[in-house]
Amino acid sequence: MIEVRDLRKTYPGGAEAVRGVSFDVAEGEFFGFLGPNGAGKSTTINMLVNLVKRTSGSISIDGLSLDEHQNEIYGRVGFAMQEVGLDETATAREMLELHGRLYHMPPAKIQSQIAKLLKLVELEKVADKYTSTYSGGMRRRFDLALSLIHEPKLLFLDEPTQGLDPHARQLIWGHLKELNAAGMTIFLTTHFMEEAELLCDRLAIMDKGQIVAEGTVPALLERYQAKTLEEVFLSTTGSHLADEAVNNNASDPYARARA
Amino acid sequence: MSTFFSDWYYLSIRNIKQIWRPWLALVPSIFMPIFFFLVNSASLSAFSKVPGFPDVSYQDFIAPVAMFTAIFFSAGNAGIELVQDIANGYFKKLIIMPINRLAILMAKLTEVAVQATLQGFIVLVLLLATGVHFRTGFLGILLIFGMLVLFAMAWSCISLIAALRTQNARLVQSMFIIAFPFLYITTSQAPLALLPPTFRVLAQYNPITYIIEGVRALVLDGWSSPAIWQGLLTAVILFVVMASFTLASFRKALK
Repeated sequence: MIEVRDLRKTYPGGAEAVRGVSFDVAEGEFFGFLGPNGAGKSTTINMLVNLVKRTSGSISIDGLSLDEHQNEIYGRVGFAMQEVGLDETATAREMLELHGRLYHMPPAKIQSQIAKLLKLVELEKVADKYTSTYSGGMRRRFDLALSLIHEPKLLFLDEPTQGLDPHARQLIWGHLKELNAAGMTIFLTTHFMEEAELLCDRLAIMDKGQIVAEGTVPALLERYQAKTLEEVFLSTTGSHLADEAVNNNASDPYARARA
Repeated sequence: MSTFFSDWYYLSIRNIKQIWRPWLALVPSIFMPIFFFLVNSASLSAFSKVPGFPDVSYQDFIAPVAMFTAIFFSAGNAGIELVQDIANGYFKKLIIMPINRLAILMAKLTEVAVQATLQGFIVLVLLLATGVHFRTGFLGILLIFGMLVLFAMAWSCISLIAALRTQNARLVQSMFIIAFPFLYITTSQAPLALLPPTFRVLAQYNPITYIIEGVRALVLDGWSSPAIWQGLLTAVILFVVMASFTLASFRKALK
């Protein structure tokens, strides 16, 4: 489903955010990118949809080159970003309908998807309220629904449970498991060990712009003779997640411009 | 191109809804031009008796300015909304959809055109109610709206460019201040011949003077005035130039 070869990103000024990353994700797989803040996870996921232009390397999604078939790929993927960007002047139903229209779906299909997704993320009762009135957890859940409106084959999730309370996190994990069980390929970036361990079929651990370990959780535990994923993480990155400085906007071109 | 028009249409509908959400945000941009018109036409009415002033009431003379002011006060909203979309991440959502990206920009300009028409219409009703007579009739009013809508879209480009280049809400919001010199260093308050020499030169270099004079000619003079076509041409040129700069900024922001 995803083929990435020698992906690199060097920002103006010389900072190397991603340094020669290659990986494959199979169809139907739940693939996780685990790493400390600033490791290059978000830059990588943003390059996979051309939100950040890569310096070099090749990306192919669902057999199509991102360079030549960008819009076709956009029709097949959904993306719930780290920043939950919603139209605060619209209701959830209006946003879902607009996105359905922009994905050029038939009106009847849009309506059935809206009903299905609002039920999935348990927001039916507030569907006609402005999104500005939603709590953080509701916004995350709605963002997930929004990224699913066109029934994508591949779902990108960038830190989807960041800032959520344990209940909201569990709720989203449940939804993601259901989607994956239904056949959707999911690419997730996270720095939560529990999330990675619980959800992902296979993991890549990223540090300082490079993949330092890759495999299923049991394979990684065996390879590094570790009892927990955290031990694997420590031995591959040499750092503890809690000690990492916050650098969540490293891949955000607007954040860079503001800085 | 096949999806361009539907993308443009649906994004325009979304943007147009933003005009009255919240509806209270509309009040100042409707109230202020009405306020200026009523206050100026009452307090400066004696100005029409100054030698060299055209043989019309001061109220009729500043009628076009009232319609102009309505547009000045609202044309910056498109930029503010765009910078909000960029800052909260919604803009990114739009650009990773399989849509024609030009439709995003066109929908913003459509929103500006609709808002200018709505606000211009409210001011027009007030002008008609207070006895302003449009010498070129219904067709003249249509042409006035054509000019003002073109100008509104051109003027909104300033805030759109600021939004795309800086992504700074405060800066974009403050851009409306530059409307004042552009509006007042014109013939908005007095005919060119009555302006002080330096002011007169500056007004002649200000393109907005020609649009105001064009609209004024449609209100006061009739179809034979060359100022009408000068005004229309100025509005078209301004729109083409500003839209080109905005398009360049838009493309740069997408890189």
